[in-house]
Amino acid sequence: MAHIHLGEGSFPVWALVFWTLVGTGLLSAVAYRVRKGGIRTNQIALAGIGAAASFAIFQLNIPVWGGIHMNLTGLVGILAGPLLGALIALVVNIFSAALGHGAVGLLGANVLVNATEAVVAYYLFTTLIGMDWDVFPASASAATVGLSAGAVLMGVIIVVSGVNGSALPRGDLAVAVGGLVGLNLGVAVIEGILTGFIVQFLASVRPDLVGVEEREVREEETPGVTA
Amino acid sequence: MQRWKQYGGLLGLFGVCLAAGLWGFTATGGALPWAKRSATTLQRGVRDGGGSLVDLSRGIVVAGPIRKNGLLFEYGLIAGALVVSGIALYVYVDRYRTATEDERVTR
Repeated sequence: MAHIHLGEGSFPVWALVFWTLVGTGLLSAVAYRVRKGGIRTNQIALAGIGAAASFAIFQLNIPVWGGIHMNLTGLVGILAGPLLGALIALVVNIFSAALGHGAVGLLGANVLVNATEAVVAYYLFTTLIGMDWDVFPASASAATVGLSAGAVLMGVIIVVSGVNGSALPRGDLAVAVGGLVGLNLGVAVIEGILTGFIVQFLASVRPDLVGVEEREVREEETPGVTA
Repeated sequence: MQRWKQYGGLLGLFGVCLAAGLWGFTATGGALPWAKRSATTLQRGVRDGGGSLVDLSRGIVVAGPIRKNGLLFEYGLIAGALVVSGIALYVYVDRYRTATEDERVTR
């Protein structure tokens, strides 16, 4: 999904340094929170599987909207949580950059984009589940909104940084980036539906993995008809 | 919350996103792969284009930078290693969970 797909040297040096510092700051905060709060064991397993799925699908070009790729960061955020979701975004981007899919210099910016997707999806999913939403609409909405937030951040990063070699004035660049962000919103729908089905399936076979087991128990305990 | 409100909200969200996607698709050159679309749009600005939204004849292919640089083996290797370690972790945690308590926190 949202991914700054530009070659090395596309951003000015100040922007590379700035986004790398912001990305490092985010990851430092995540590492501190993980170190301080610990991680539930089932989240570690989900993080491993999430990283594998995210990396594998990230490299596949799907023949929709002219040719796009997904990365399942919304799903990763919902399953592994915001902290591990951010770390998975780092791992997937490092491996991708190592294979030439995404510039090494843009690692900080791309981690920020993908971590935002995971974090927003997680918090929106837990909020909607807390409001008694069904699992499918909650997860599909959370993933779609999370991915949209990442796409908007991607656009903001590009417009704020500027692109080396582009003759476009900042206003025209913003419109051009708006088109790319818009396309990503369309892709978010596909990924949102896919995420909804996966989370719903997991909730039906292993509700503890999705964090809806308490609700299942509550529903079972609720009496149906009372005399 | 009532189910129709949940699904109504979801459909509304999808409608807005799909409309934005359609506009983005045409404004950034139509049926182009993401890398080419991204590079040309950022260099030349918006330029209308058309083409089919779904082109199954292209199939699902590995991303250009990996395919063109002959890194398919390395891609398979990394993806395979991540899948194996993910499944191994899942199996380990599943057994570990049943052997001890559910809410154990690892540090």
